[in-house]
Amino acid sequence: MTPRLRQPQPHRPHPGLANLTRRCRLGVIGAVGFALSSSIAGAQHLLIPMDDAQQNHLKAYGLTFNALKAGNRAEWFINYRGGSFLLPDAPDLRRLATLAGITLEPLDNGRLSQIRAEIASGNMDAVTLEKAPKIAIYTPPKSPPWDDAVTLALRYAGIEYTTVWDDDVMNGDLKKYDWLHLFHEDFTGQLNKLYLGFRDAPWFVEQRDRNLETAKRLGYASIPALKKAVAERMRQYVEGGGFLFAMCGATETLELAIAAHNADIAAAYADGTPIDEDVDSRMDWKRAMAFKDVHVEQSPFTNSMSDIDGHQVNVPARRQPLGQFTLFAFSAKFDPVATMLVQDHRTVIPDYYGVTTSFNKAVIKPGVTVLAYEEGAPWVKYLHGDYGKGSWTFLGGHDPEDPQHNIGNAPTDLALHTTSPGYRLILNNVLFPAAKKKPLKT
Amino acid sequence: MRAMELEQAGKWREALVAYRAALDSSLTASILGMERVYDQLGKRDSVLPLIDTLIAKRPNEPTLRTIQLRTLAYLHRDEATAAAFEKWLRTAPRDAAPYREYARILLDAGRSASADTVLQRAQRALGGTRDITVEMAQLRAATGLWELSAQSWREAMQTSPYLDQAAVFSLFPTPDSVRGAVRQIFRAPPVQVESRRALAILELRWGSAREGWNALRDLPPTDDAVKAWTEFGDEAEASGAWLVARDAFAAALAKTPTRELAVRAANDALSGGDPTSAVRLLEPYSAATDSESVRSVLPVRVRALSALGRAEEAEALISANATRLDSLQRVRLVRMAAWGWVRAGNLAKARAAMGTTPMGEDDDRTMGWISLYEGDLRSARHILKRSSETNPEQLLALAFLGRTKVDSAPQAGSAFLALVRGDSAAAAAQLESSAATVPDAAALMINAAARIIAARHDDSGAVTLWQRVAEQYPTAPEAAEAELEWARVLRRRGDTAGAVQRLEHMILTYPRSALVPQARRELDLAKQSVPSP
Repeated sequence: MTPRLRQPQPHRPHPGLANLTRRCRLGVIGAVGFALSSSIAGAQHLLIPMDDAQQNHLKAYGLTFNALKAGNRAEWFINYRGGSFLLPDAPDLRRLATLAGITLEPLDNGRLSQIRAEIASGNMDAVTLEKAPKIAIYTPPKSPPWDDAVTLALRYAGIEYTTVWDDDVMNGDLKKYDWLHLFHEDFTGQLNKLYLGFRDAPWFVEQRDRNLETAKRLGYASIPALKKAVAERMRQYVEGGGFLFAMCGATETLELAIAAHNADIAAAYADGTPIDEDVDSRMDWKRAMAFKDVHVEQSPFTNSMSDIDGHQVNVPARRQPLGQFTLFAFSAKFDPVATMLVQDHRTVIPDYYGVTTSFNKAVIKPGVTVLAYEEGAPWVKYLHGDYGKGSWTFLGGHDPEDPQHNIGNAPTDLALHTTSPGYRLILNNVLFPAAKKKPLKT
Repeated sequence: MRAMELEQAGKWREALVAYRAALDSSLTASILGMERVYDQLGKRDSVLPLIDTLIAKRPNEPTLRTIQLRTLAYLHRDEATAAAFEKWLRTAPRDAAPYREYARILLDAGRSASADTVLQRAQRALGGTRDITVEMAQLRAATGLWELSAQSWREAMQTSPYLDQAAVFSLFPTPDSVRGAVRQIFRAPPVQVESRRALAILELRWGSAREGWNALRDLPPTDDAVKAWTEFGDEAEASGAWLVARDAFAAALAKTPTRELAVRAANDALSGGDPTSAVRLLEPYSAATDSESVRSVLPVRVRALSALGRAEEAEALISANATRLDSLQRVRLVRMAAWGWVRAGNLAKARAAMGTTPMGEDDDRTMGWISLYEGDLRSARHILKRSSETNPEQLLALAFLGRTKVDSAPQAGSAFLALVRGDSAAAAAQLESSAATVPDAAALMINAAARIIAARHDDSGAVTLWQRVAEQYPTAPEAAEAELEWARVLRRRGDTAGAVQRLEHMILTYPRSALVPQARRELDLAKQSVPSP
C-alpha cells in the first residue's frame, strides 16, 4: 500500500467547459425547495439519475462538478433515486454526458414539479449546489495518480484538483482550498513501518530520502517531527473551517500525530529515539477529531500503529477477515450532511483492506457520526464529524474495488467499475462541500 | 447398505433409523450418513448428542471428532468448536489430524489468523510442518503469502502428487507481480513432473498457455512426462491454445509415436493456422493404407495440403486411395481439394474438381464461393444466401454480397480471392481499387483494405483510407469504425489532441454505434483519466 514509482501526469480540467465562467453561490433547498426553484421554472432540466438506471455513476459526479465550475447551478436530490442530480438542460452538459456515457433524463417543468412533490413527501430533500469546491490532494510531488483511490476517482470523473505537499502546507497554502484530501500518508513519520520489509526497495529509499530532504529544508530534525508539524497545520485548517477527507492510513496516523504533540510516537529507526514508554498516557486526545483513549503500538516490529484499526491487515496474528459494511440511513431533511455523504445505489458494500481498514468503536469519540458500520462487528467503516468551524470525514480502506490491494498490484481501472458503490462514497465527499451545511437537528 | 438406499430415495426418517441400527457394525459410514440426513432435515445440530455419546466410547476415532468440529463450526458455536479441538488434542497430542481438521474449518470460514495460530501450535507440537503442508499452503495463500504458499504446495506434491489441482485452485488468485516468484519455485531444481504439471495448468488458467508448455517442455521424456504432456495437450485444446496443444502432442509423439497422437497434433496445427507442420506431423503415416489410417489420417492430410494450396498433391492422394474410400468420403475430400485449387488461385481447376462430384448443399456452397471469386455476384448471392461460415474473410465477403446490388464485379471477386489465399498485400490493394466498381459497398471495401493495411503495421496507409471512409462516406456503417481506428492511430503516434477530437466527433456523431463504449475507453486513455494498460 505504497506509491508505485511512475512519472507524474499533469491533470487538466475538461476543455469543453473552459470558456464558461459564471459563478454561483451556496444555499440549501429543503422543505422550501419549491419557492427557491422558481428561478428555473421556465427552463428545461436534465435529471442525472443515480440509481441502477445510471450507466456511469462516477462520471456523473464529474459532470455535476464541472457544471458548477462553469457557473451553472445544480441540485442534489438526496435519497431520490440513489441521490440524483438536477442540472439545467444546456447543450454543453448534454455533450459532456454523451461523451462520458452518463445516463440523463430530460425533464420539463411539469415532471420536475412532480418530482419535487415526491421529494417533499418522503425522506428526501433537494440540496442546492452552487460552487465547485477547490480541491487539494496531499500527495508527494512524484507520486503517480494511480495509487490513491481519491485521485483515481477525480481523474476518472474529470474533476479538477491541485496537489499539495509539506512545503505548501507549511507555507499556509491550505487556506486556498475548500477541501483537503489525505490518503495513506503516515503522519507518525514512520513510513508506514515498512522499513523492515522494504528498506532496500528503490521506491522506499526514494520515499524516505524525499521526506528527509523536505524535513531538513523546512528546519525539522526528523521525518516524524516534520509530519507532526504538518498534521498540526491540517488540524488548524479544519478548525478554521476547512473540509478534510481522509482514507486508509492517513485517518489513523493524522489523529495519532495530532494527539502526540507532547509525546514521541516514532520508533528509533525513524527519529533516533525510541517511542515513549508511557506514550499512551502522554497522548492528548482532546485535540484529536475522531478518536480517544487509543493504545499506541510500541513495537517497531509490529506493522500496526495503534488499536484504532479493527482489521490490522499487516499483522498476521491479528488480521481480521473482510465482511461487508452497511450505510446508515439518515433523515434527509434533518441530517442533510450525513445523508449526502452516504448517497449510493447500494446500502451494503463489500469491505476492502487498507493500512487502516476500519475504526474500532471503543476508541471513537462521543458525538462522532457513524456513516457506515459492519453488522455485529466491533468496528465501523466510515465516520464524520465537526471540528471547530470545519468538518472531517474518515473512510477506512485503500481501494473499494481492490479488496486485498497488495504492494505492486496493477492500478485500478475505473472504466471497469463505472458504477462502483464504494467509489461513490469518495465522490460524495467531493460534492458535499459545494453545499452549505444545515445544523444537525437530531 | 439399506440405509443408503433409503437416503437416496429421500426417505430421510427411515434412513436415520437404518443408519442408527448400523452404527455398531459400520460406524464411519453410518455416522457420516446420519450427518447428511440431519442436514437434509435442517437439523444439523441433532447429530451432536449422538456424537458426544460415541466419542465417550471411542475417544480416538478421528471421524467422530471431525464431524463434531464441523457441526459446531456450522452452528457458529466458535467457543465450543475450540473446546472440542482442545479435547481432541488431549486424547491425541502427537496426531496431526486435530490441527489439520480445525485449521481447515477456520480457513473455510475465512478466519486465517486463527488458522495461523493453530498451525503454529501444530509445528511446535509435531516438530515441523511435514504433516500439515497442505494446510500451511492453503493458509499462506489465504493470507496473500503466495511465495510461501507455492513452496508448501511444492513440498506437499512430492508425497501427494494428486494435490496438483488443489495447488492450482489455491494459487490461481496470485497477483501478476508475484507470479514470477511462484514460477521460480515450481521450476526450481530438482525437476519434478508434479510441480511442473501444476505450474503448467496454473499458467493456462492465468491465460499464458505458451508459458505453461514452457514449464513442461524440458522434462526428461519419461512415461510420467509423456502423460503430463498429453494431459496438458488436452487442457490446451480445451482452452483453444491450438499451437501449444500441437507442441505438447508432438513432444509426446516423439517418445511414443502413435497415429492418434499424430492426428490430434496435426488437427491442432490446422486449427492454429499452421498447415505446414500438420503435413510434417503426418509424414510418417503417409504410406499407411489400412482402413483406420485412411479414415483418420487421409482427411487431415488432404485438408492440410489444400490449406497450403497444394491441390495437385491432395488430388493425387485422393486418387491413390480411391478404392479405399466410400462415395461420401470421396466427395468430402474432393471438396477439400477444390478449396486447395481456390487457394492456389486456379478457379477453373476448382470448378472442374467440383464437377466430378454430385452436388449436395455443401458442394453448392463451395460453388457459390467460386462464383464470388470469379466476380459473378449474382450467382454467389443466390447460392450463399443461407451460408453459415464464421471465418472473418468469408464473413466480410458475405457482408459485401449483402450490401451491394451489383451483379458482376470481377475486380472485387479477385480481391476476395486474394484474401482467402492469404495474400494480404494484394487483397488490400484490390479491395481499395475495386471500391469504385461497387459504389454501394465502397465504404466496406475501403474499410476492409484499411484493416488489412493496419494489420501489416502501415499506420499511415491505413489512416489515409479511414479518413477517406469517415469523410466521403459519413453515413456508411463503417464510418464509426473508421473514425475510431483513425483516432487509435493518432493516439499511438502521440497526437493526443487529434485523437480526442476524432473520438469526441465519433461518439457525438454516432451515439448509438456499438463501438461507442470502445471510443469512450480510448477517450479515457487519451485524456489519462484511467491508467494505461
